[in-house]
Amino acid sequence: MIFSLWESVSLSGLVSSSQLPALHDVILALIQLAGTPFFLAHVGQSFANVTTGVSLALVLVFPLALLVGMRSQLDQAITPIIMLVGALPDLAILTLLVTVIGRGNVAAVAISAFSAFFPVYFTIRQGVKEIPGDYFHVTSVFKAGRVQTFTKMILPSIFPNLVTGLRLSFEFSWNVLLAVEVIASVAGIGTFISSSIGSSAHSLTYGLAAIMTVGLITIAIDRAFFERFENRIKRWR
Amino acid sequence: MHVELSNVTKVYEDPPQIVTALKDISFHVNEGEFLCIVGPSGCGKSTLLRMIAGLDHPSSGQIRFRGDLLTAPHSKISMVFQTFALLPWRTVIQNVEFGLEVQGRPKKERAEVAMDLLEMVGLKGSENLFPKQLSGGMKQRVGIARALAIDPEVVLMDEAFSAIDEFTAESLRAEVAEIHNETRKTFLLVTHNLPEAIELADRILVLSARPAKVKSIVGIEMERPRIQTDSEFVSIHRDIFALLQAELENSIMRHRLSGLKEFKRLRDMEDR
Repeated sequence: MIFSLWESVSLSGLVSSSQLPALHDVILALIQLAGTPFFLAHVGQSFANVTTGVSLALVLVFPLALLVGMRSQLDQAITPIIMLVGALPDLAILTLLVTVIGRGNVAAVAISAFSAFFPVYFTIRQGVKEIPGDYFHVTSVFKAGRVQTFTKMILPSIFPNLVTGLRLSFEFSWNVLLAVEVIASVAGIGTFISSSIGSSAHSLTYGLAAIMTVGLITIAIDRAFFERFENRIKRWR
Repeated sequence: MHVELSNVTKVYEDPPQIVTALKDISFHVNEGEFLCIVGPSGCGKSTLLRMIAGLDHPSSGQIRFRGDLLTAPHSKISMVFQTFALLPWRTVIQNVEFGLEVQGRPKKERAEVAMDLLEMVGLKGSENLFPKQLSGGMKQRVGIARALAIDPEVVLMDEAFSAIDEFTAESLRAEVAEIHNETRKTFLLVTHNLPEAIELADRILVLSARPAKVKSIVGIEMERPRIQTDSEFVSIHRDIFALLQAELENSIMRHRLSGLKEFKRLRDMEDR
């Protein structure tokens, strides 16, 4: 619907093509870019950085969120600190990181992970807190050990929360990364967009094409992973 | 003696208060019997059951199973929950198999045992449904099948029929009585429903109000099936109900007195 509105506005000549490139031009630009190794490398780099960042965040945060969800004393001690850190602006953190680590992919992954921390932490923590006490009674009565209690009860129980957390993390991470790629001096779609601005007569077209790429990637990942997970969950929820 | 409780006391500390839930409880459960525990609400009967299940520990006193001290859940003691507590991401048969899975039994054996039990509780054909597709009565049938799957010697039932509508509960009770008759396992049911207890029990343990003590142990000699409108049933009900009512009044009196004491104490503090 938005697309048809866009196209009709452009075709009618209401908006000049220097202000808003026509949809068909953007799509053509996108197809052209998709064949360019240069562009694909940037896309790949962004994607790699985000995925690494999110995975890192997951590995670090998961055990913490689990513990905090199960012990309210820990929760009361740790969660306020996390909330405080989460309130800090990402850009400021990145500047700090770049000063300490230097520019490059490490900083990019770090900032990616940083923005991914909070959704994962809070969704998993919430998931654990919501586990009905009786589920623990069941695992106890049937003599499940710690590992079995985790694999057979806790993990499946919080799986929906995990999916939500990952989805959000992915989104947050993408947005932050694209915004800061230039500052971190790394390759990526953000860098591509800012470097292409003013470099040619149709730079805006290419910029929009790049943004559309991000949208397409997000949709693709959603379809490939998250929607599959959601369908599985819907069977029993 | 299958299960024996000796001088079991349970105290909760919530400073500055100390609440004694159970005081000096001693009784035994005979092998193969159906024992019901009744008492006023909040008297600690569920706590008692949870201690036998190994989910909680007495503050003092001992619980023995087959003569051995019980300090943790026992593989031969199983439980059916008031909330059903089925794992929602598992199908009916996967829920029933849970205990067997934990024990590491092979897949084929698990499936056989589970299917047999599902047939026994009348759920044959529903094995691949998810709990969300089941009614309360069906869920509890799964709970019962799950409890029986590990072939326990003792089946603990914590208000197992209390969250089900009365009609379904009635038929479920009859089925449980039948299962007890066939398997001759020891059943321990905690309930606030006196007619239910009289219908099912060989003996009824009546607990007093908090701090709960053993008020009375009543043997029920009636032949089964027991009809609630029978004169003998009614007379037994009247007697035990009177016991419970006395306890209820007792606890209300005690609350009033303790409230009065607290009021006086606060007023004395103000005066000073």
